[in-house]
Amino acid sequence: MDRRDFLKTTAMTAATLAASRLAYGQAPVAAPPVSSGSGVKWNKAPCRFCGTGCHVQVGVEGGKVVAIAGDPKAEVNKGLLCVKGYHVGLALYGSDRLTQPLLRKGDKQVPISWDEALDIIATRIQKDPKGFALYGSGQWTIPEGYTASKFVKGGLGSNQLDANARLCMASAVTGFLATYGVDEPAGCYDDLDACDVLIMWGNNPAEMHPVLFSRVIDRRSRGEKVTLIDIGTRRTRTSAFCDHVLRFKPNTDLAIACGIAHLLVEEGTWDKAFVEANCAFRAPSEPATLQGKAITFEEYRALLAPYTPEHVEKLSGVSQKDLRMLAGLFGRRDVRITSLWCMGVNQHTRGTAMNSLIHGLHLLSGHFGKPGDAPTSLTGQPSACGTVREVGTLAHALPGGRVVAEEKHRHQMEDLWNVPQGRIPAKPGYHTVQMWERFSTPSDKGGDIHTLWVQVTNPAQTLPNRHKLVDPSRKLADKFLIVSDAYPTETTRIADLVLPSAMWVEKNGMVGNSERRTQQWFKMVNPPGQARDDAWQLIAVAHRLFERGFEGMKDRDGRFLFEVKQDGKPVPIWDFAHYYDVNVDAHLFEEYRKTTRIKHKDLAPYEEYVKARGLRWPVVQQPDGSWRETRFRFSGFDDPYVEKGRDIQFYHSPTHDGRAQVWFNPYEPPPESPDDEFPFWLCTGRVIEHWHSGTMTMRIPQLQRAMPSAYLEMNRADARRLGVGNGDVVTVETRRGSLELPVWLGGRGEPPEGSLFVPFFDEKLLINELTLDAHDPFSKQPDYKKCAARVRGRKRKEARG
Amino acid sequence: MTFSSLVLTLEDSAEQRAGVLARLERDARITLGMPFEERWLPVVVETETAEEGESVAEFIRDLPGVRFLDVVMVDFSAGEC
Ligand code: SF4
Repeated sequence: MDRRDFLKTTAMTAATLAASRLAYGQAPVAAPPVSSGSGVKWNKAPCRFCGTGCHVQVGVEGGKVVAIAGDPKAEVNKGLLCVKGYHVGLALYGSDRLTQPLLRKGDKQVPISWDEALDIIATRIQKDPKGFALYGSGQWTIPEGYTASKFVKGGLGSNQLDANARLCMASAVTGFLATYGVDEPAGCYDDLDACDVLIMWGNNPAEMHPVLFSRVIDRRSRGEKVTLIDIGTRRTRTSAFCDHVLRFKPNTDLAIACGIAHLLVEEGTWDKAFVEANCAFRAPSEPATLQGKAITFEEYRALLAPYTPEHVEKLSGVSQKDLRMLAGLFGRRDVRITSLWCMGVNQHTRGTAMNSLIHGLHLLSGHFGKPGDAPTSLTGQPSACGTVREVGTLAHALPGGRVVAEEKHRHQMEDLWNVPQGRIPAKPGYHTVQMWERFSTPSDKGGDIHTLWVQVTNPAQTLPNRHKLVDPSRKLADKFLIVSDAYPTETTRIADLVLPSAMWVEKNGMVGNSERRTQQWFKMVNPPGQARDDAWQLIAVAHRLFERGFEGMKDRDGRFLFEVKQDGKPVPIWDFAHYYDVNVDAHLFEEYRKTTRIKHKDLAPYEEYVKARGLRWPVVQQPDGSWRETRFRFSGFDDPYVEKGRDIQFYHSPTHDGRAQVWFNPYEPPPESPDDEFPFWLCTGRVIEHWHSGTMTMRIPQLQRAMPSAYLEMNRADARRLGVGNGDVVTVETRRGSLELPVWLGGRGEPPEGSLFVPFFDEKLLINELTLDAHDPFSKQPDYKKCAARVRGRKRKEARG
Repeated sequence: MTFSSLVLTLEDSAEQRAGVLARLERDARITLGMPFEERWLPVVVETETAEEGESVAEFIRDLPGVRFLDVVMVDFSAGEC
């Protein structure tokens, strides 16, 4: 078989498997694997991009990734991929990869050696370890995040570690904690195969989690009935597939949720048996805490009383008929309801409250714990769950669901890391917005972060209100910004030291997706030039400090904190030439795995993940020695931690009595609303073609061509009123900044009158100079979805260069 | 030379489905697999460049009778990098 025939056969095999999956919901029993031979070597990896966590087959030939196929063995995507996924291999081959450390000298960044770079960082840390902060990412792999946590908390004795997932799912975490006492969804993607009704709250999965969405749409193509409901603030690609499209005024989603709960209670259609057995009621306390205060059912009912359909219609713009339709569905016991949400609910100054309310609706109505009945928050990044939430790379957290505020938790980690007791401070470090504020404040005015190391994220493009949080630091001589990345970004451009990073299959990795699924892959190709693994970068700096006698990088026995032994002898993994002499990932993961039991997030040994296309925790060993994953947490029929004989048990209940909390949270007006001066709502978000800030996808020619630049979506009526046509360039202004953007009318999305939408992927058009840095009081997650804006000026399309 | 594997989900109408098959069979760049349940059709597209592959996929996506097009594999060994 020649190369052409081989590739053609492989391509047809992949298509046939996927068609079979679509037709029957499964692959043929004797499904052939993607062919091997002809020089192309195939191996599995999760897609580099979103939190869906599809698996791809990566074809490598001559040291280069040459083909990508959907992995037919992967339960998540069943052989299918979205437009980003099937181009993921090209993300490695942009022409401007960073290949050498660069140090700022005046206006220029000049090449230096890794040795010099490590020295510079070690010196900055040694000068004042407490003023050093590490800002990471939900795109860190699990071993990278674990290394970061051990480096900062175990090594530096500091909690100045936070991650960009603060900007995308922190409110989901606090919502889960407030409701169940433990983070992450109870259900999984299987719910999408079993639900009768899918409600998407401020969510556009057709673009943001496209493979999950097509999983539902494919059911329809097979003749199954699934009712889709879009509750959002603008028309999206998702809306086009929905049976009901409900438009609400920004920030009033809380009123809608309260309105549904009110109807369930008043009409007696709530699930009394479920609630009596499994729930308690809760409301905000004074002063406000994540635990709130316990209330009785009667108090709950009284708090909901003002949320009549009439009142909610007035507040939200959603009709009474639609509110009754929603309450009617929740009130039925013969349908299964899954709710999905993501940034629309999380990037919200009331994000924790809204997360809790959605959980509350499912609990109140008993739509919980059966396949298809689930409140499921989705994540945006491939390892926001695995790395940030589970490893705990946040300012208040420690691995395995521990928190720095608890003495017992600190001591457990100090013992595991074999560092002196008292090493980890009890006080949380700065959350993302604070961390950058302190970095951008002069040292003599309280700006106590002098050095900030950013890995795998692009905050100059993604932090809100950039003029306030990022830019001032660049004018302060004693502030030093270190950025590790694979490509030049807005953040590397303003950095003092740039470190070139290996990415995706250029290194070993493990990630955890939105459905508690931990996934593993092996390094398949070499990174270009001197690009190196992010975990290695941290370990190498740790060792440089160790060499200099820095106490924090020694354990209680004086050994290097990240020592890895083979055949009883330490391997010099801090020297990159020896980093792959052992599987450092496996070593770090096995150490981390020991931390995962206290919250019943048990992980299997590394080798089990090598064999699988991911496993959903808790993964528990069976009497025959095999490892079994858990699809439905807290449900007696599937979760091994539920006591025998119980249908449901919330075994991490915040009230320690097995009960989840049904919250009342009132509607409150947003911190900034349109007025005479700034009459529009401005919402920001993503597009299907681009991954977040576009660092990778804007370098994939097919994706860049498909969506080359950011744009302003506005309603046709507003455009008419302003005399603006498709392609005209206008200036969008908020109280924080302004930006010129081309107008796109009647595109894939359309906001209602009075609303604007701008995607954030385009580094040439930085919408984060305009967004608001107001944030949720519990999660500290900023609100990128609503602020007041105005539109000015107009240049005709022809005038654009 | 680059290959893309696609799966087409065809519309309910038998007439439209036949129209899609007839149209695709005429194109030498396109190889059709065995349809499942007459509706899910595996397709391989062989083109000189990835860009040409994209435009063929776009053309197929817009054919009357094609409800969805899923791309399941892209080979870019000879494409732009
Ligand atoms: S849905 Fe997400 S994980 Fe799946 S292929 Fe697309 S970008 Fe990758």
